[in-house]
Amino acid sequence: MNASGIKLGLGLYTTLFIVFLYGPLAVLAILSFQTGPEGGPQFPIIEWSTYWYKHLFGLTPPSRIAPLPIEQALVRSLALAVMTMIVSTVLGVTAAQAFRKRFRGSGVVFYLIVLGMMVPGVLVGLGMALVANTLGVDRHWWGTAFVLHVVYTFPFAFLVMLAIFNRFDPSVEEAAWSLGVTPARTFRKITFPLIFPGVLSAMLFAFTLSYDEFSRTLFASGRDLTLPLAIYGTFSVEVHPNVFAFGVLTTLFSFALLGTYAVLMGLSVRRAKRMAIQEEA
Amino acid sequence: MRRGSWPELVGTKVSAVLQLKNVHKAFAGVPALAGVDAALMDNSYVSLLGPSGSGKTTLLRVIAGFEQPDGGEILFAGRRIDGVPPHERGIGFVFQNFALFPHLSVAQNIAFGLENRAVAPVTDAKAVAARVRDMIGLVGLTGLEDRAVTQISGGQKQRVALARTLVTEPSMVLLDEPLGALDANLRTRMRGELRTIRERCGVTFLHVTGSESEALAMGDTVLVLDRGRIAQATDAGTLYSRPASADVARFLNCYNIFSGAVSGDVFESPVGRLALGGVRQASGRPAYAIRYDRVAIRPRDAAAAGDEVRIEASFVASEYSGAAINSFFTLDDGRVFEVETHLSHAAPEAFEEKARYALVWKREDALVFV
Ligand SMILES: Nc1ncnc2c1ncn2[C@@H]1O[C@H](COP(=O)(O)OP(=O)(O)O)[C@@H](O)[C@H]1O
Ligand SMILES: [Mg+2]
Repeated sequence: MNASGIKLGLGLYTTLFIVFLYGPLAVLAILSFQTGPEGGPQFPIIEWSTYWYKHLFGLTPPSRIAPLPIEQALVRSLALAVMTMIVSTVLGVTAAQAFRKRFRGSGVVFYLIVLGMMVPGVLVGLGMALVANTLGVDRHWWGTAFVLHVVYTFPFAFLVMLAIFNRFDPSVEEAAWSLGVTPARTFRKITFPLIFPGVLSAMLFAFTLSYDEFSRTLFASGRDLTLPLAIYGTFSVEVHPNVFAFGVLTTLFSFALLGTYAVLMGLSVRRAKRMAIQEEA
Repeated sequence: MRRGSWPELVGTKVSAVLQLKNVHKAFAGVPALAGVDAALMDNSYVSLLGPSGSGKTTLLRVIAGFEQPDGGEILFAGRRIDGVPPHERGIGFVFQNFALFPHLSVAQNIAFGLENRAVAPVTDAKAVAARVRDMIGLVGLTGLEDRAVTQISGGQKQRVALARTLVTEPSMVLLDEPLGALDANLRTRMRGELRTIRERCGVTFLHVTGSESEALAMGDTVLVLDRGRIAQATDAGTLYSRPASADVARFLNCYNIFSGAVSGDVFESPVGRLALGGVRQASGRPAYAIRYDRVAIRPRDAAAAGDEVRIEASFVASEYSGAAINSFFTLDDGRVFEVETHLSHAAPEAFEEKARYALVWKREDALVFV
C-alpha cells in the first residue's frame, strides 16, 4: 500500500473512532435542548430551548414531570469518590513503595491486590451484600460500598505508582540519606515531589472509577443511592430530556476535572523533564 | 567539622578514620567482596583502583550503608557502623551519575542537607545562605545559584554534587568514579581541583576509579581491589614500581607480563629462558613483569651486555602519546609486547614493519613473582 493509502486508512479509522466516541454524547447534548415540558427524548427537535436545564434546577413552573431525584445522590457520589480517591491513592503509593524492595510473598500479595480490579463487579457486590447480611452489618454507601470502591480502585492506583517507581532513580534518595536526612523526610522532600505526576494520575483514576461505579454499588450501597444508581432508577419510569441535560452537565464537570489535572500535570512536567534530562546525562 | 563529636571518641586517639575488617558481601551467592581489609588515614586522599566488576561500587555502598555486609566489621572514627542506617553515619557520597535533586535549583541542592538533616539542622535561613555561598565559591559555581540543575554542564553538576556533600562537613567522602562522566579535558582539570578542595576541607576522600593513571595521580594512598579483595595498599610511587602481584601489575597497564616458573637463576617463560637478577616477591602465582619504559629496542644483531635480558620480536606499529612513543611488537608466541620510549631520551627512531628487533632490559629492572 502506498503512503497516501495508509493516510486515508488511518484518517478513516480516526474518524470512525471519534464518531463512536462522541456520537452518543453529541446526540445527548442535542436532545438536551429539546423544548419542554411536552418535548420527548427523540428527534426531531421541536424547538430549541434550555427548558430542561432550568427544570433540573427547579426553575420551571411546576408540571407533571417531577424533578430528577438526584440531588442527594450527586452529593453522595462526590463524597464517595473523594473518599475513595484519598484512601486508594494513599494505599497505592504506600503499597508500591513497599514493592520497591522484594519481600517474601510479594508475588502473592501482588496478585491479591490486582484481583480487586479483575473480579466481576456484580459478584463482588452481591457477595458483599451477603456477608453484610450474615454479619448483621447495615449496608451504606459510606460503608460497604466504600470498601468495595477502594478494593476496586486501589489496584489501579497501585499499578500506576508501580510504573512510576520503576522509572525512579533511587540514588537521589540515597544521596539525601548520606547527607544525614532521615528516610521519612527524604520521602517527603525528595521522593514525593518527584513522583507527584504519578500520584495525580492515580488520584484521577480512583476518582473517576469510583464516581461512575455501578455494578459493585448496586448491591452494596443499601437504601441511599449513588448517582449512577439514581439515574438508572429514573429510566425505569419514563425518560425525559432532563436526564440528558444532567449528562451534559456532568460531562462538563469531568472536563473541568481533566483540565485541573492537565494544569497540575503541566506544572510538574517541567520537573519531570528535568529529571529525564538528568537521567540521560 | 563534626569530627570527634561522638562520646565514645573522647580520649581515644584516632589516626585511621575508616577501618574495614574482613568485610564480605555476596549477591545471590556470588561474592562481590571476599574479605576486604583496609585502613584509611584521616585527612588523606585515597584512591581505590580496580577493574570493572571488581566490587568497587559495592564496597563504597557497604561503607555508606546502602548495602549491608554479610560479615566483617566497619569502624568509622573508632565507632562500629555496620548496622547503622546511612543517615546516621556522617559519610558523604558522590554518585557517578551525580544524583542531583532534579526539582531543586543549584543553591537549593547544596542547602538541602544543611536544612533537612536530623542532627543539628541549620534552621536560620541567613546562616544557610552564608554557608551555601561559601561552598559555591569554593567549588567555583558563583553565578549559577538559581539555575536548575538540568541547565548546567557535566562539570558543573559534578561540582554541585561535591558541594552538596561538603557543605554538611562529613569526615569522609566516598566518590564513585566521579570523573567518569566527564570529557577528557575536564577530567584532567577536575583532578587538580578535587585535590585542592579536599585539602582545604581537611576531609578524607575515598575516590573510586577504573583508570590507573587517575588512581596514581590522585591518591596519597592507592588501594587496589581485585576480585573482592584488597590486593595492595600503598603510595602511588611504590605501587607503580613495585606492584605486589602480577594481577596488580596488569591493572597498572604499564607492564609486560609473562607467566611461567622460576627454576634456579632463570624464569622459564613461553618466549624463552629469562635470566634473573632482581628481587623476587612472594605473591602466590609465579610471573615475570617488565615495565614498558625499561625496555630498549636494538637492531637484531646487537649483542646484550652481561647484566641484560634479550628477546626478539617483530615490530608492528607505534603510537605517539605526548612525550612518549609506545611501540608494539609481536613475540614468537603471538603475544603483544609493548615498549615505551620517552622522547627526551632520544629522537624518535623509525622501525620497519614486520622486521625483527632485539628487545633488551636490565635483569634487575624486572619484577619476579614467585
Ligand atoms: N545489586 C546487585 N545485585 C546483584 N549483583 C550485584 C549487585 N551489585 C553488584 N553486583 C555484582 O557484584 C560485582 C561487583 O560489582 P560492582 O561493585 O558494581 O563493581 P565495580 O563497581 O568495581 O565495577 C559484580 O559482579 C556485579 O555483577
Ligand atoms: Mg562501579
